[in-house]
Amino acid sequence: MSELKKTALSDVVSITYITRDNAEFRREGDFLSLRVTLPVGVGPDGEPTGGEKYYERIYLHRSFPYEHPYEYISVLDRDSAEIGIISDINDFPENIADMLKSELDRKYYAPVIDKILSVKERYGYSYWEVISDGRKLSFNMRDTFRNILKVTPEHVFLNDSDSNRYEIKDTEKLDRKSYKRIELYL
Amino acid sequence: MGERLALTSRLCRINSDVCADDVIVAFAYDLPREGYGTVDGFVAVTTDRVYVYEDDRLLADYNAADVTEYIFTNGVGCVFAECVADGVHVMLCRASMSHKDTISSIIWQLSRRLERGTYSYAYEEDTDVKCPTCGRRYPPGSHVCPHCTAKKGYFKRIWEIAKPYKMFIFCSVLLYIVSAALQLLPAYLNKIMIDDYIKAEGALELSKSADFIIGFVGVVLSLLGVNIITRAVGMLRGVTLIEAGTRMMVSLRSLVFGKIQQLSVAKISKRTAGELMNRVTDDTNQLQNFIMNDIGGFFEQILIFFAVSIIIIRYDWRLAALILIPVPLVLVANRLFHQYMHRIFHRQWVMNSRANTILHDIFSGIRVVKAFGMERREMERYDKATLDECNAQIKAETFFAKFSPPMSFLMGLGEFFLLFYVGTKILNKEMTLGDMQLFTTYVSIIYGPLRWLSNFPRRYERTMTSVVKIFDIIDEDVDVADKDNARELDIVGKIEFEDVSFGYDSGSNVLHNINLTVEPGDFVGIVGRSGVGKSTLINLVMRLYDVDDGTIKIDGVDIRDISQSSLRSQIGVVLQETFLFSGTVYENIAYAKPSATRDEVLAAAKLAGAHSFIMKMPDAYNTRVGERGHTLSGGERQRIAIARALLHDPRILILDEATASLDTETEKQIQDALQILSRNRTTLAIAHRLSTLRNATKLIVLDKGTVAEVGTHDELMRRRGIYYGLVMAQRQMSKMSR
Repeated sequence: MSELKKTALSDVVSITYITRDNAEFRREGDFLSLRVTLPVGVGPDGEPTGGEKYYERIYLHRSFPYEHPYEYISVLDRDSAEIGIISDINDFPENIADMLKSELDRKYYAPVIDKILSVKERYGYSYWEVISDGRKLSFNMRDTFRNILKVTPEHVFLNDSDSNRYEIKDTEKLDRKSYKRIELYL
Repeated sequence: MGERLALTSRLCRINSDVCADDVIVAFAYDLPREGYGTVDGFVAVTTDRVYVYEDDRLLADYNAADVTEYIFTNGVGCVFAECVADGVHVMLCRASMSHKDTISSIIWQLSRRLERGTYSYAYEEDTDVKCPTCGRRYPPGSHVCPHCTAKKGYFKRIWEIAKPYKMFIFCSVLLYIVSAALQLLPAYLNKIMIDDYIKAEGALELSKSADFIIGFVGVVLSLLGVNIITRAVGMLRGVTLIEAGTRMMVSLRSLVFGKIQQLSVAKISKRTAGELMNRVTDDTNQLQNFIMNDIGGFFEQILIFFAVSIIIIRYDWRLAALILIPVPLVLVANRLFHQYMHRIFHRQWVMNSRANTILHDIFSGIRVVKAFGMERREMERYDKATLDECNAQIKAETFFAKFSPPMSFLMGLGEFFLLFYVGTKILNKEMTLGDMQLFTTYVSIIYGPLRWLSNFPRRYERTMTSVVKIFDIIDEDVDVADKDNARELDIVGKIEFEDVSFGYDSGSNVLHNINLTVEPGDFVGIVGRSGVGKSTLINLVMRLYDVDDGTIKIDGVDIRDISQSSLRSQIGVVLQETFLFSGTVYENIAYAKPSATRDEVLAAAKLAGAHSFIMKMPDAYNTRVGERGHTLSGGERQRIAIARALLHDPRILILDEATASLDTETEKQIQDALQILSRNRTTLAIAHRLSTLRNATKLIVLDKGTVAEVGTHDELMRRRGIYYGLVMAQRQMSKMSR
């Protein structure tokens, strides 16, 4: 009887990882460029892939934006084609890691709500006044229930009618009055 | 436009070197370049420089001649405007999503300006999206601010809708008022009965006199009469309400539904089917209910309240005070109680709908659940959801059970005061038993309107919510609209794309500068990788969307000048996934041409290769398909779609992966049918399997949203470009699978 060899997914598909050893990120102007050396292979249309390449502008995108903001980062070129994935930004030297993190933080914008001053409902819209980072913000939401995204029961994101995002890291840690105001929607 | 001019004058004030005439465009942004917070910044592009100002400080400026590219980038929760100056990518600004539409349109126009030297301000009309009164943005696609539209405005518009029914509404209000008056009468008659007859002094003696008997019988008959009239009024009111209500609902629904049908696919697909269904059914229902029942009810209750109050006050103001003192208390308690009740019951409702969603999910995906052996996990998931619902229910019901009796007690408190007060008065002979009967009845009546009226604001609010949602749809701008002078055109079949650009979302173009000519009778294959814009291209030909830039012409006429019904009645489509409406096979084939004869339908089915399998079913052409009907296989559905298109006999035929989901043999059969179908008409066909396009007179290869290659199969193979690569890859695939 021939012995069946178990095939792992990784034998068939390989994810291209971008690491401190094969990649060199640099800040050019206000954005990042990348020089990367990847294993040579053949693409789906028969074209050669890999080798050393230079991208004058790259984009970073989180694979798990809520759970792992600095891990599994997809690196894309200008045509949104994935160059590779960074497993963990912290594996890079500190100065590079900081550069990548600040690039990501700049792209993902969601003010953190510390306090909810008021929520008023009127004709299917809800009007919010909140304190974030010491500043008062006001915004309105349509279909309030549907636009509150619960990452966990306590960690929520609010999407306003312009698609701006606001984050509440832990609803349980809000002061009592603020919590009362949002409780109905949770 | 307002913003551009304001920023231009601001720029000229800060920077005296700038002349207002040189400013091409200026736009505001609100986010700092990094981190959180808000800034007051703007970017201005003049004929020779690009300035970035933040809080009136110059952050950066570039020589306009050095800028080779303007780029708009979507962040997550923010957007970026960038440019390439002197070969380096630099950030012009970062802005919140509220600025997205404006900035993306401006960057797009700036890019056009680099390419062609033209700049169009047409977008400024679309991007004026803020209400000038409150500064809030209009709902997407609308130019009516729900926050500022005065209630008066809504009432006026509701009145417009209700106007045809004004007689009915007037009657219903009148009947409500009559019924209010009638409700007060029996108590008064009872009082007369008790005081003047039953408990009258010397009643026994008097009862022998004829006058007394006549009077007594008169009162009893009056009571009977009032009762009969009350029932009759109730009946009449019921009939009026049903008659007018249903008619009004029909016209409201057809108003909303008609409007939805007018909207473009882009606008409709922004909303879920469930949401649209709610608009058409629930919200119209709510409004109709309000107009028919609540407005009349409002007058009735107000009338009862004031009439009873006046009667009591006139009779004895101290008594009135006793009865009315608890009123504010009851109102406040009632309001608080209801608010809390509303919250906890709403929570229960949310939990319930969540559990239902899970159930719906599991049942819809039951094959997946079973295939992966996940029954246990799904059971746990559902159990948890029901447990949550159960807890919410316990909380709500317990609260109701605990607090409802005290509330009722509180509301009945007035009666105790009254009993005590009236009792003492009767003992002192200052009041009669009839008075007591009258007052206890009135006291029990007076709390009814109060309770009703204290809940009225909530009903009103809910109705207004529905009204706003209905008007949200009615007010939505029709983006793909027929022009006033739209033409009816007999299409020959020439299709031209001239500099066509299009994106579903502002800021990202799916198609970019497409130039194409398709001659009448051509069979054109459109190929390219997934997501490259093939389906978008044909959606534009059908005018499901309007192009952002450039023109599409059919027979030399801009498709925006052709009436949509004329255009679409001459285009036939077979999509990869065919939707069959619930109905018979026959109805589904005849869908595109209801006037078709039975013979035509049979012929079309035969040509599409559908006839043979249809005849194998016991009910043949009368077989019910669609939801809950006979399940047809993908190939069978596809053949019905082809029969539908054949019957339609279109001038332009569109095949979007029409045979992709079929096995090779079925595909071959359908290909043959399509071959027949495409004779003498212009055909646009999208296919991944390139072999299906072997008969194409011309192939168009799309890449990155532009036309990369055009030619016949042989020409493109010789060129050894993208098409060659695709063909080679597919050959390799089929070799491997052999």
